[in-house]
Amino acid sequence: MKTKNTPLFIARLALTLFVICAVVAILLALVNQVTAPRIETINAEKATKALTAVLSDADQATKLDDFQDDTGMVRAVYASPSGYAIEVTPTGFGGTIDMMVGVSKDGKVLGVSIISHSETPNLGAVAASSNSKGQAFREQFIGLSGALAVSKDGGSVDAITSATITSRAVTSGVNAALECAGKLG
Amino acid sequence: MNIRQQCKEGILTKNPVLVQLLGMCSSLAITTSLFNGLGMGLSVTIILICSNVMISALRKVIPSNIRIAAYIVIIAGFVTMVDLLLQAFLPDLSENLGVFIPLIVVNCIILGRAEAFASKNGVLASAFDGLFMGIGYTLAITAMSIVRELLGSGTFGGGILNGGEGIRIIPEGYPAMLLIMPVGGFLMLGCLIAAFQFAMKKMKAKEEAK
Repeated sequence: MKTKNTPLFIARLALTLFVICAVVAILLALVNQVTAPRIETINAEKATKALTAVLSDADQATKLDDFQDDTGMVRAVYASPSGYAIEVTPTGFGGTIDMMVGVSKDGKVLGVSIISHSETPNLGAVAASSNSKGQAFREQFIGLSGALAVSKDGGSVDAITSATITSRAVTSGVNAALECAGKLG
Repeated sequence: MNIRQQCKEGILTKNPVLVQLLGMCSSLAITTSLFNGLGMGLSVTIILICSNVMISALRKVIPSNIRIAAYIVIIAGFVTMVDLLLQAFLPDLSENLGVFIPLIVVNCIILGRAEAFASKNGVLASAFDGLFMGIGYTLAITAMSIVRELLGSGTFGGGILNGGEGIRIIPEGYPAMLLIMPVGGFLMLGCLIAAFQFAMKKMKAKEEAK
């Protein structure tokens, strides 16, 4: 095709590109129409599952809009009669870890549940795994309070083998949740 | 160009990963379990076939001045569709592959085939080109996934078999974690390319001897 810089040719270029973009946009809108409700259900299910994992009375939990966040990690806070469920997003080895931490009214960890993450399979990903190692890692937080740290940093949290960065991130997420809950009283 | 030759080119002589060295980013990053390798391979194959067909069908309509922009829009459209469909229907796979699905947009294999093949050939030939290049990519990254998973975490079929844990072949504590890490990806890819080139040379020598 010859390159001609006439206005007509330029208009044709713009029009072709516009039509392609418009058709692609319409197709995407159609696909989105089908998938959006399903994706929403899946995400809501995930959040509910995480909530039930950390609070025994999750069905009575309500979302709080008013909370103080000094760490910049708190995404959402849910309150129920037994305590708070706080969604925090610390940064791990492969990106953000989205996790839910249950905190009792007297400032103790009730449970830790990881909603989504992009940690290395078989290393950091163990933190979210349903196997015995993953469960042991998450359950060790239960009942703890105050400022936590992994054993390498002089704390009491046992890090996952070869995944200190992920373990530190989860610990910092728990700390952020404890701090946030402490301010809620 | 006939189908047999296209098949041979896609899988062997012009294998996108092992010969053309295209799409390295995803090949190195996600090849840590069989499930990831197969899922990524399949997603790329589907997108490659769709974009090749579309671009081939529109090759006489799209002025060459704006072809790259037009290709990218078409490819991005298909990638986003696959991304949304995976999120809705295969959430586990979508979570594992994470950002690498949206990144298929800039995977050189797709744009490379659009530019080198689909923009010059008919719709059917382009569809087959997409299929065979996709199979070549899938085979290469699946092979890498199997070896890295076996040596790095000691399991086979992680993500699919045995409730997602995979079948343990090497006892825990012995596998070389290094291979699961990014550096292991580079080492593995180098070894695989060397082995592939060796096999190809042998094959060629045999053919010439005849």
